[in-house]
Amino acid sequence: MPDTAASTGAQLILDVLADEGVETVFGYPGGAIMPLYDALYGHSIRHILTRHEQAASFAAGGFARSTGKVGVCFATSGPGATNLVTGLLDAQMDSVPVVAITGQVRTPLMGTDAFQEADVTSITGSVTKRSVCVRDVAQLERTLRAAFRLARGPRPGSVLVDVPQDVLKAPCARFNPLAPRRRTQPTLKADDDALDATIDLIRGARRPVAIVGGGARSAGATHLFREFCALLELPHTATINGLGCAEPGDLRFLGMLGMHGWKAANLAVNEADVLFAFGMRFDDRVTGRPDRFARGATVVHADVDASEFGKVISPHIALRGDLRYTLAQLAQRLARMKSRPSFAAWGREAKALGGPPPPDRTPHGELSATSVLDRFFAHAPEDAIVSTDVGQHQMWAAQRQRASHPRNFLTSAGLGAMGFGLPAAIGAQFAFPARSVTAIVGDGGFQMSIAELATIARYELPVKILLIDNRRLGMVRQWQELFYERRYSAVDLSDNPDFVAIARGYGIGGASVTEAASLDAAIVRMLASDGPALLHCACYPEENVWPLIPAGTSVNEMMEARPLDDAVPA
Amino acid sequence: MTLALVLHDWRILERIVGLTHRLGCSYRSVEVRARDDNRYDARIEFAGSHDALRRLDAQLNRLLDDDKEMCQ
Repeated sequence: MPDTAASTGAQLILDVLADEGVETVFGYPGGAIMPLYDALYGHSIRHILTRHEQAASFAAGGFARSTGKVGVCFATSGPGATNLVTGLLDAQMDSVPVVAITGQVRTPLMGTDAFQEADVTSITGSVTKRSVCVRDVAQLERTLRAAFRLARGPRPGSVLVDVPQDVLKAPCARFNPLAPRRRTQPTLKADDDALDATIDLIRGARRPVAIVGGGARSAGATHLFREFCALLELPHTATINGLGCAEPGDLRFLGMLGMHGWKAANLAVNEADVLFAFGMRFDDRVTGRPDRFARGATVVHADVDASEFGKVISPHIALRGDLRYTLAQLAQRLARMKSRPSFAAWGREAKALGGPPPPDRTPHGELSATSVLDRFFAHAPEDAIVSTDVGQHQMWAAQRQRASHPRNFLTSAGLGAMGFGLPAAIGAQFAFPARSVTAIVGDGGFQMSIAELATIARYELPVKILLIDNRRLGMVRQWQELFYERRYSAVDLSDNPDFVAIARGYGIGGASVTEAASLDAAIVRMLASDGPALLHCACYPEENVWPLIPAGTSVNEMMEARPLDDAVPA
Repeated sequence: MTLALVLHDWRILERIVGLTHRLGCSYRSVEVRARDDNRYDARIEFAGSHDALRRLDAQLNRLLDDDKEMCQ
């Protein structure tokens, strides 16, 4: 017989979280949410105090991205809650399961512009799957359960539950761990006729290409995607969120697709007669001009979210369902074929359409960011988790990463939120304390979350920070160079602080490298260090990301590396 | 495009309004009535281009699926 002695809303929240498998939450306390923090005192759930609520939301995202489990963050009412917005939208756009719990002013004060009151559910409504305020403690457990179900999927995303302080304090029946409950939604199964039509299409295909996106990561379908490609010897590419889904070393992998994708990937998709799109959403950074994207291809789009079909590209065949089911069904059908086609020859042809992005050259012996990243990935352990911030270094890293699993490369892809890299690495390191976790950050984004060095130091996290410091907001600078007649506006960070000194101020060891000759040794030392470490790389500021398909254009307008002589110092 | 929608939580109307605006559509009429089962019948006539209405329809379905799940 369960103990039904009185509990409170706050206690109930923690009990439900624990029952949902939550062991770690990231957050920042404040007035309205104090009852929840009081309940946390002595509770088995571990709370990680970040230095800003946004970092808590990014850390929850990093935890979720690296594990597939729901990441949880707490914040108080008003500014605490509004500071979560960017992290919630980041999770929502990349289909990452995050549940945020925010304190709210007492229900009698709601609507009176009370101290630290904000209409959080309205503010966050459009950046989450759902955002709800619980005004009655009797609805609290049901709402939290639904929030976790919704966050998990079928297509994961973020959910916010706003709880007024009086509801947190309200007495309620104690949590009953024996009550029956549903944690997930039913598996969606693709239509048999559509699966058969896909097989028919494969029979007649000559130049098929597969694209894998973050949906394969969410569905846990990486191995099935690899099997599908192997069965057909199919050339394949990945969106930035799909990186790591391809078999490491697979010669049929054409590299990343899109604006800064590999040339071969973009050209092969452009020449494809059949395009398999698995768990991707034809983002504008992938398609460029949609009316010129893969114009000769019959498109098979497999996704769990029907609203993605035709949102950007209209598929000829739509396979709505769980990707594990869809890919397993396709593999079964392929295995039954008497003479299964092989696209090995086309794969070799596709691969030859272009090599990997070339390393940039730098004048006067200055350090090249691309060289730094090439050397980093050469030395990083095979199962290393790497997070990035946003900008040039993100694209260079995405082009060069060697992730063997899509949960090993964490990046704010859809939202492109600067400040993501460091807190995301913190979240991942809490999930995997024994693994190598490195945040690759630029000097712009790092300074948006630099206070999280305190979080790293407090919890003695062995997070490594590879800082690509080009003393510029590099991606904006590049676009100003290329598309705004070199009118460099608000991109100069040449007065950057001494990052190594700052790290040391937080008790984190740091080193700086300025020349290629000492790069390898510095990277090896950083990776080998027991605790956290910062490696500051003073890089050439004019290095650009190549190739580049300018926004709103097509693969035909792809720009490749320009001679450095053209560059004018910013 | 006129849609007859069942809302499990009337607050979802705010999302529908936002989504409609975001996709470049508008309303001709909105009518919402409470039912006896804590749900709401909404009859909304939308205006907009064919493509925008098609996208709106698809995204509304997703929104309402989530609404239903959240209220279970």
